[in-house]
Order: sequence, then structure tokens, then C-alpha cells
Amino acid sequence: MKLDVNALGTFYRMAREGAGLAAGRLTHMTDVETRVGVTKLNFMRGREIRHDFEDSTEKIGVRVELSGAIEGYSVVVFDRENALRIVETIVSESDAEEFDEMNKSAATEVGNIMNNGFIDGWADVLETVIDVSTPEFVKGESADVFFSDLEEAPGDDDLALLFQSHIEAVDTEVGFSHYLFPERESMSRVLEQLRTSGGIEYDKLEGFDRMAERGAEEVAKTATTLTGIDTSVEIRRLNFVSLEAIPEEVPDERLVGVAFEFDGVPSGYLLFLFDEESAREIVDAMVPMASDDGDGDDDDDADGPESFDEMGTSAIKELGNIMASGFLDGWANVLDTTIDHSTPEFVHDIGTAAVDPVIVQLGENQEFAFVFDTVITADGKEFDCEVYAIPDEDDLERALNDLEVDRIEDAPTTADFQEVDNT
Amino acid sequence: MKTYGTEPGAPTPVQVGISELAISDGDETLKSYGLGSCLAIALYDPDSGIGGLAHAMLPDGDTAENSERKPGKYADTAIRALLRRMVEKGASYTSVEAKIAGGSDMFEFESFGDGVGQRNVVAAREELDKLGVPLVAEDVGGDRGRTVEFTPGSGTLMVKTTEADGTSGVSEL
Repeated sequence: MKLDVNALGTFYRMAREGAGLAAGRLTHMTDVETRVGVTKLNFMRGREIRHDFEDSTEKIGVRVELSGAIEGYSVVVFDRENALRIVETIVSESDAEEFDEMNKSAATEVGNIMNNGFIDGWADVLETVIDVSTPEFVKGESADVFFSDLEEAPGDDDLALLFQSHIEAVDTEVGFSHYLFPERESMSRVLEQLRTSGGIEYDKLEGFDRMAERGAEEVAKTATTLTGIDTSVEIRRLNFVSLEAIPEEVPDERLVGVAFEFDGVPSGYLLFLFDEESAREIVDAMVPMASDDGDGDDDDDADGPESFDEMGTSAIKELGNIMASGFLDGWANVLDTTIDHSTPEFVHDIGTAAVDPVIVQLGENQEFAFVFDTVITADGKEFDCEVYAIPDEDDLERALNDLEVDRIEDAPTTADFQEVDNT
Repeated sequence: MKTYGTEPGAPTPVQVGISELAISDGDETLKSYGLGSCLAIALYDPDSGIGGLAHAMLPDGDTAENSERKPGKYADTAIRALLRRMVEKGASYTSVEAKIAGGSDMFEFESFGDGVGQRNVVAAREELDKLGVPLVAEDVGGDRGRTVEFTPGSGTLMVKTTEADGTSGVSEL
């Protein structure tokens, strides 16, 4: 089974189209104004999909089995509370607190109409027919209840191509997520139809995941070494999205960031974004003197001007620089190549404004991008760092095709902390 | 971001995301957040109060395959699409005026050449000139991000920036 960007692009449009139809029908049914949030194709391991689910809130799912052009399962998942709110809008005089028979069937009906919205959207894009089974109501806290009995569900170490769409109601909390677990054979058939270039062997995506893993580990390790703050990788996933969707995910607030361009196979752009508090915490940890914010009191909340002085800026740039080396070394080791990066560019501005120059540049030659999306956090201290690595599409395809899958496992990771100049 | 359903009466600004454009015929405000190198293009007819905002990402749509599907993505096709839709709504072509904001160059990367923001600004100016639409005000370039709010009824384009020292700047075009 091989895939290429054209095939993935069609999948993406399929997901987008399906989400639009589903949102439209939800509005029609509930009179609640809705919009399509982020739509993504994710490459995720079974373990991570399960991890995603384990936020200990009860969830309601409506599941259908697909046959025809796409075989597999389509599942719409609501948080329990959201499902109840939606039920309330449909079943009048219902103060829905429990899933009795009536509420259960109302929720199933909604879920089913959502599923059908997605599936009709896909069938439109693929110009084909997809048949749908009768819906099944599922309730539970862990992913196991929703997926584990499915033959198509990926094992802990299996890499799955997951369609995720989020639909949210304007001004109210009734969002839900949608998952498609396609059966491998049918996916392979569809990919074969859609592919317009040589493409990448599906198994080489393993290399993708390994790159993402090594890169993220190196960043967390580097951050811990430099700041003394104990950090770990919170989220790590590989998304395939349209370029415009990337800034949509970045908060509309002022962030502190360090940006790089990198050059090699692949080339591309790398951004580390911190919220202001985390950035301040980092400056304090790296430059102890900087904690005197000059406002006369003992705190270090910098209630003076909210800027980062030269020392603070250079501390953040230095951290970014070494994290970038670690991240890209992680990649280079997996790919058995070298990747150079530019000097760091500091940015302290609205988050989206820091990301859009990169997508503007890449947009000259590509419509979609693989985004290596990583979040690093620390226990007890403010250290939230979002890492966006966006490689040039052609380069990435080349890099992956050159990759020998056998050596992925053995790739050593080496990051050199010796050259840190802490002055 | 596309919204499904009817607009509530509340005066919340309509958000115009990257590659999108929106038309309005009154006091409704159109808003684009966090423009870096992207360009906000506001067109309006002061007589009828009809206007629109585009959040363009790239300069040249005429050479791109998907510009028909996504006219708002490119500066040139966005301007033409805005103009066409405004005229369909009743605006008079000859009285339409333009304001633009954005097109910063936040980073000095080698691969960015002369600057990705600058390319968008140049493309918009050229297209406006070609169509004979006067560019009456602009706030472009530099290395700061901008958030814009456009009210077609009055033709006011508010531009907000946050400076390096943390202060916020607001200017009205």
C-alpha cells in the first residue's frame, strides 16, 4: 500500500466536506448554530488514540459499520454532558440527566445523522457509494469500550490513519469528535485510485513516527538540562492538514516564540511557541538575575513593561537554538542524514502572526503540509511549549523514500549539550 | 471559518479566516486575527455602505489551480471576487475604494527572499491599479503582527498591533 500527497489531499477534502455536511445537519436538527473546527488527518499509534480518550470523562459514541468503497467503522463521540445538552434541544420537555430509553434513542439518532453527514461527504468527494449499517450506541470512559472489539482498531504499536473533525456550536459547548477506522484493504484500494505519483510506501510512515518521537524526546531532554525544569512530552502527533488550518490551531494571544528555517533532506521550518508565563519562568530558570523585575517588590511577575529585555530574549533564543539542534538531530539520526538550521529568530507577538509567514512561504509550492505537532509540559511549573515542525513536502517524500525501514529501530540519538555557553 | 446556521442578532464580528473573504452591507464588522505576512484587503463603496474583507495568503492566484475554489487565498483573485460580489449586492464599481493592512516580514530567513509579506503587498497594489480601484490607505510591512476590524458602513479599518515592549497600538485607517 502506497500513499502520496494527492491521495491524502483528497482524504482531507473528504473529511472537510463530511464535517461541513454533518455541521449543517446538526444545525438543522437542533437550531444551534454550529461551525467546523479543526479537521485533521492524524497518523497515530493505537496507544496514543487510547491515551487521548483517557481524560476520565464519560463519553457517548454512536458507531456504524461501513461497506462499499470504504470499509471500516465510523464513530461520532460526544462528551456525556454535550450529548445530554443536544438531546435536550431535540426532546422537548426533557431535562436530560440520564440516558433513559428515550434520550438514548435521541442521542443515537443525532449521532447517526452526523455519521451519515460525514459519509455522504466522502461519497461525494470519491464519487462513489458507501453503505452504512444501523447505528450502535456506546457509552464508557475508556477507548476500549469504543474501539477494542473492532477488528480494524489498531494495536498499541500499530500506526493508524485517523480522520478527526471537531464540530462546535457557536457560544455553547456541544462539540464532538469524529473518528474513522478504515479497514486496511479498502484503504489500500482507495489510495491506489487516488494516487497520482510514485508515492511513499505505507510502512515507511513508521519512519515518520520515529522521527516525531525522537525529535520530541530530544526537545524535552534539552529543555530539562538547560532550565532544570523537569519536562516531558505531553502530546506528539503527526498531522496532515491544509496549510490554512495550521494557524487556526494557534491561540489568538500573545506568545513568545523562536523560529528557524532548516536545510537538508528534508528542509522546512521549526517553531517553538511558549505562552508568556512559561517564557518568563524559563528566563528566570536560565538567568537567575533576571528575576528582579525592577518594580521594587519581591515578586518576579514583571508588572512593569511586559517586554523581554535583551538578556531574557537571548536566554529564550539560546534555549530554542539548542532545542532545535536536538530536535533536528533526532530526525537526522532516523533519516541518516544531516539537517542544518538557521540562527534563531525571536518573536513576541500574536501566535497566528508568528506562524503565518511560514505557511505563506510554503504555500507558494504546496497546498497541504505534514505538521509534527508536539507539546512539552512540566509538572508543577509553567512550561508549556508547542513545537511546530513543518517540512517542505517534496523533500519529506524524498527523505522517507530513502529511508530503510530496518534501521529505524537502531538509530541512536545523540544530542550534544557540551557546547552550551551559559553566559 | 464557515459558520452554519443563522447569524444571531448579537453584534459579534464575523471572523474572516486565512484564505476566506466576506461581504457585508452595513454596520456588521468583519475581523481578521493575527495577520503576519498575510494581507487584509478591505474594499467598500462609501455611497451604498457595501463592502468586504479578504484575508489573503499568497500573491498570485492566476497561476494557481485552485484559485477558483478558493479565491480568497490569493491577493489578486480575492480583490476581483470581493468586487464582483459587492457589485452583485448593489455596490457601484466606480466608487469602490480600498484599504490594505498586513504583509509584515517577521523573519529574515534566506528562503524567504525579498520577504513573503512584501510580495503580497505588491500583488494587491498591482491588482487594484489594474482594476482602477483607488488605494486610499494602507498599513503594511514592518515586523509586527496585526489584527484588523473592518466596518464597511463607515469604511473604517481598525488596525491593532502589539509592540515589542508589550504596549498595544491601535490605528484607524
